[in-house]
Amino acid sequence: MVSQFGFVLLFMIAGIFLVLLVLGIARILRPSRPNPEKNAIYESGEETEGTAHVSFNLRFYIVALIFILFDVELVLLFPWASVFGDKALFDDTKGVWAIYAGIEMFIFVFVLALGLVYAWKKGHLDWIKPSQEETNFKSPVPKELYKDINEKYA
Amino acid sequence: MYPIIVFSVSGLLMLFLGLSVNKKSLLPYNLLFMLVGLASNFLDWNAPGLYFNGMLEISNPIILVQWVLIFAAILVSGISSRQFDDTHAYPAEYYAIMQFALVGALIMVSFQNLLMLFVGLEILSVGLYVLTGSDKRNLRGNEAAIKYFLMGSFATGIFLFGVAMFYGATGSFDISSGNSVANNLLEGKMFFWLGMVFIFIGLLFKISAAPFHFWTADVYQGAPTVFSAFMATIVKTAVIFALFRLAAYSFNLEYENWSKFLVIIIGLSMVIGNVTAVFQTNFKRVLAFSSISQAGFMLLSLIGLGAQSYGNLGFYSLSYALATISAFGVFLVISSNTIVEGRPSENINVFDGLFSRNPDLAIILLISMLSLAGIPLTSGFWSKFFVLNDAAAKGYFWILILGVLMSAVSLYYYFNPIRASFKKTDLGKIEISSLSKYTLYVCAALTILFGIAPNILRSLF
Repeated sequence: MVSQFGFVLLFMIAGIFLVLLVLGIARILRPSRPNPEKNAIYESGEETEGTAHVSFNLRFYIVALIFILFDVELVLLFPWASVFGDKALFDDTKGVWAIYAGIEMFIFVFVLALGLVYAWKKGHLDWIKPSQEETNFKSPVPKELYKDINEKYA
Repeated sequence: MYPIIVFSVSGLLMLFLGLSVNKKSLLPYNLLFMLVGLASNFLDWNAPGLYFNGMLEISNPIILVQWVLIFAAILVSGISSRQFDDTHAYPAEYYAIMQFALVGALIMVSFQNLLMLFVGLEILSVGLYVLTGSDKRNLRGNEAAIKYFLMGSFATGIFLFGVAMFYGATGSFDISSGNSVANNLLEGKMFFWLGMVFIFIGLLFKISAAPFHFWTADVYQGAPTVFSAFMATIVKTAVIFALFRLAAYSFNLEYENWSKFLVIIIGLSMVIGNVTAVFQTNFKRVLAFSSISQAGFMLLSLIGLGAQSYGNLGFYSLSYALATISAFGVFLVISSNTIVEGRPSENINVFDGLFSRNPDLAIILLISMLSLAGIPLTSGFWSKFFVLNDAAAKGYFWILILGVLMSAVSLYYYFNPIRASFKKTDLGKIEISSLSKYTLYVCAALTILFGIAPNILRSLF
């Protein structure tokens, strides 16, 4: 008799075995003729430039966080829906169950929606590039001078 | 139970108030919400029982501890006046997170189910991770937040592992199910012991008992001072009562096993906390190490575990909260008046000449330091007396001697700021906002009151 944890172990072993098997077969069958063009990173046909270690705009993280908020909410909604639609429970309680579970989920979604409203109101959803402001600084050096120098030594 | 609901809702309200209300009027709202929470606890008075399908227990002693927590939070809010006035502060979010963290703390003192304890612990900790790093422009604050977050997460993981073992051994998350393994064979008990040790380690980390104290000094120093005070009082009280509940209901039959392990931790906390504090020059670090040694003293009542221990612990928590909040409050006012290299100075020498600059603050500091050191006529003396009495009843005399010895050591560093405050100085007077002044008066007055007549408070429990 295999226990529940035994099944998990079997799945892990089967998973590792399957990956090794498929990759092994591919290795035996495929021709191996690498060249620099083939080894290059595939980026939708674009040629890659520079490293991937650059700082991303912080706004990506905020949007990702808000996305996660609702993503996790959905994960919880599915099991809730299966319990909510349980006919036996509904009949046992003469419909009180549906009201109770429904209100509970409404509170949950409401609290999350408040989070979105808060982020919205704070302006975290606006994707506006910081505009460059013209300075009022008046330089005594005329602009033409720079232009002349640039043209002379271009 | 009601304050939990009140603070969950008022925290959300607070967030949205921050969008519409001007920054300076947020503190009165915060105090109002906290007073509503404090009052709502009356609804549960004399209605003991289990709530939410046996998830929370409410009884009069638990309500008293919840009052201690909410009262400490009110005092912390009181000393925070004028602290969040600059443009980079977001007081609405800070107060909201404080209220959410308080929800976690309230759950932790009344849980009946280990999962509830985990939820409470996480609500409390996650809020504190954010508050620790809330001063985004302070490099030390950033370092403290990341340190606290990483180490706190590991501790939570260890705690959760212990809970899993507990479940494996007993088949239930209910705290009273710990008794069901009493008659088991050794093999069955191994899991239970493992769970017990891991749960203890996870929670001892949170009250920063040695040898799980390494994060304390850095985090207290890096966090904004208001939140250091919050951390020192509310977290410590919540976690020690969670430990007490576990010790009294889940692990009481294993007393012989864990008390030996705990008494070593108490000894270590006292020695490491007090001896290391002597060498500190930063006042927040001094208070951090003092909080380690105080955690050791608090744990003594777990060793006692008698009929009086719960009340003793409640008395200790409140008197410690009063003394610590007034120490942090006085320090907060002075250090924000002493700017060194663009930041408030945290060195002990900020207290130089305090008596001539503002005699009231100097007296309050004196009272709070005497109370922390455990000098008679302050509540700190009685709180130490009660917990040591508890431990003596169980026959642990060597820890008693160590405790008294270490209290003597602590006199040295508690008297440093007092000595400094009577130095001569030519610096000007210190102004203080009336709200934080009255908060500090209340702290000092209660410290003296409970020092003269401890039974006023103790007879309630």
